[in-house]
Order: sequence, then C-alpha cells, then structure tokens
Amino acid sequence: MGLGFTIGFIGVLILFHAAYSTIQYRTLLKITEEEFSGSPLIVVIELTLGLLLCTWAALNVPGKFLCILPDSDENRIVSLPGNLDFMIFNHRGKIFPVEMNERLRH
Amino acid sequence: MVTKTEESELKNLEIQVDNGGGGAWEYLSLVRKLKVRRSDKVLKHGLSILNDSKLRSKLGADEWTLYEQVAVAAMDCQCLDVAQDCTKALRKRFSESKRVGRLKAMLLEAKGSWEKAEKAYSSLLEDNPLDQIIHKRRVAMAKAQGNISGAIEWLNKYLEIFMADHDAWRELAEIYSSLQMYKQAAFCYEEVILAQPTVPLYHLAYADVLYTLGGLENVQTAKKYYASTIDLTGGKNTRALFGICLCTSAIAQLAKGKNKEDKEGSQLQSLAAKALERDYKQRAPDKLPQLTTALKSLTLSS
Repeated sequence: MGLGFTIGFIGVLILFHAAYSTIQYRTLLKITEEEFSGSPLIVVIELTLGLLLCTWAALNVPGKFLCILPDSDENRIVSLPGNLDFMIFNHRGKIFPVEMNERLRH
Repeated sequence: MVTKTEESELKNLEIQVDNGGGGAWEYLSLVRKLKVRRSDKVLKHGLSILNDSKLRSKLGADEWTLYEQVAVAAMDCQCLDVAQDCTKALRKRFSESKRVGRLKAMLLEAKGSWEKAEKAYSSLLEDNPLDQIIHKRRVAMAKAQGNISGAIEWLNKYLEIFMADHDAWRELAEIYSSLQMYKQAAFCYEEVILAQPTVPLYHLAYADVLYTLGGLENVQTAKKYYASTIDLTGGKNTRALFGICLCTSAIAQLAKGKNKEDKEGSQLQSLAAKALERDYKQRAPDKLPQLTTALKSLTLSS
C-alpha cells in the first residue's frame, strides 16, 4: 500500500516534470521562431514512463477488485432469507427443547 | 439474498463463536442482517452477552435490539421464561412502545393462548391500522393454528392494501402451492418475479409450478423460465437443466399432431443434456450411466 502510494507520487512528479519540460521547449522555440511540431523524444519517453508508473499505482492502491458477475462463485445466491415476518412458533421443534439451563440474570 | 461469501462468513463466525473465540456480537449482527433463522445459536450466545454486565454495557444503545433478538429466538426454541424476562426488561425501559407491545403479543402466541394474542393484535391495530408487521403476525397466527383458509383470507386482504410487499406474495405463493392451487400460486410467483427479477430461485419455482400445471402453453412458458434460470445462474443450476430436458420431451409429446418447430427445441435439449453429462462427470461420476439412460429414454419417448 505504501509502495503503491510512493510509486504513484513519483509517477505524478515525472508527469509534471515532462509537462514543464515541454512548456520550456515551446518558449525556446518561440524565441527562435520555429514551429512546435512535437515534444523532444526524451520528453516523450519520460511521459510514457510516468504513465506506466501512475497506471500501476492506480491498479494496486485501491486493493482487491470484487467480481461483478451475479453468477460468479462469490456472488451467487445460496439461499433466500427465511420469511421471518411470518415465522410461527408452533413447529415440530417444540418436541426437542433446547437444553437451556441459563436464564436472564438480573 | 444470502450470497456465497456471506454464507461462508456466517459459517466461519459460527464456528469461531462456538469454539469459544470472541465475535459473538458480530455473529448476531450478521444473523440479523441476513435474516437467517438460527434461533438456538442466537439464544445461547445472546444470553451469554446479556448475562455479562461488562459486555452488555459495551453495547450501549444496541443492547435493546439484542434483547428483542434474544426474546424472539427464545420463543422459537420454546424457552418461554427467558422470553418473558427479556420482554419484561424491554417493557421497563420502553413502557409505551408498540414494538414492545408486538413482542408481548408474540409471546402470547408462542405460549399458545391464541384468543389473548388475537385480542392484543386487534387492540394494537386499532391504534395503528396500517402497521404491516402486525397484519403479517395475524396471518402467521392463523397459519399456526392450522386455519390455512383464514390465513389466505387475511393475506389477500393485506395484499390489497400493500401490493408491493414481495415477501407476502412469496408467502402466499408457498401457501397456495402447499394446497395444490397451482394457478393462484403461479400468479403470486409472477408478482414476486416482477418485484425481484434477478433472483433465479423465483424463476425456477415459477417454472416448476407451470410445469406441474401442464398443458402445452404452460409447459412452453415453463421451458422459457427454466432457460432464464440457466441464464441467471450461468448454467450451474442442475434442476433447471433437467427442467429443460423434461419440458422439451413433454412439448414433443403434447404437440404430436401439430408440426411445430422441432429443430430449436431439440438443439436446446441436446445442449442441456450435454451440460448435465459434463456436470455429472465432474461431480458424481458413478451416477453418470443412470443419467445417460434417463436422458435417452426422454428423447426416445418424445
């Protein structure tokens, strides 16, 4: 968790640095009055590296992903809730009383 | 709806609490949330929490919920003195509460004094004529006394007012099925499916009722609902797969004179048969020959 956070932070820093370098490069080009066709290659590499680091952090920091399929092994419905509003006490379990020697003590 | 993760969590907590580890309060809260009926365990562990004054004071305001839960569990296990003590404690704390009044009437019901309980429920209903739970308790009391037609009457009157209560529709469907009034049971299951269309068990029950009713259209609709159950469960429901095979052969028998579409039906049946055989091979390989002979006799008789 801590590792994910640090890597995400480093990735964001790298992205900001790439943005700053691109802005600096554009100002330089404006001074020499050339056209801005694209960032220099090294900045593009830096950008991809920042993207990879941030993606890795985004996938690892939130934790375990849950399944959304309704018929997956964790989400499938095993039983319906027993209709407790209509529960009756006059059932066959009356013959087998629970061995309850305790009582409410106070 | 109890999902598999929730059920395994419940089982783990149950084992943990039974073997003396802590976590009784989490177990009781999970039982309350999932609405399962584990009255003996709830009684044992709830009573152990309530009798320990330290644990009781740690609960704070939740202890009264625990009193109510233990009271109902005690009534279910026929330990009526424990239930009486819990109700008395609740009455001392909340003297003018209709929830406690309901609990008192339930205690009378559990004791078997039906007239007194009936009088208590009617007096509670005079003060609040639109209390859903008291209406449902009256239905349950009629059912407990064996007066099924009275229960049906009360339940129908309740459903005229509260038409959206899918639990009540489900109860009515089960009562009608037990009396073999399948047409009415099918109607009730339709209401339940309308309310909760993503629960495959209701589709399965509806398909079963339709198949029992018989007749060409009913069996065709039953086949559609077995298919939707298979769709919702990802093909893992064995009963629905069997249902498809039986429905196809029943349709073929009923429609012998008319030349309806055979190709789709037999394709669905062969797919279902293959899925069944694969399932049996994996889980019960020694029963596989019986299955193959049964399936063959189905296709031959059609």
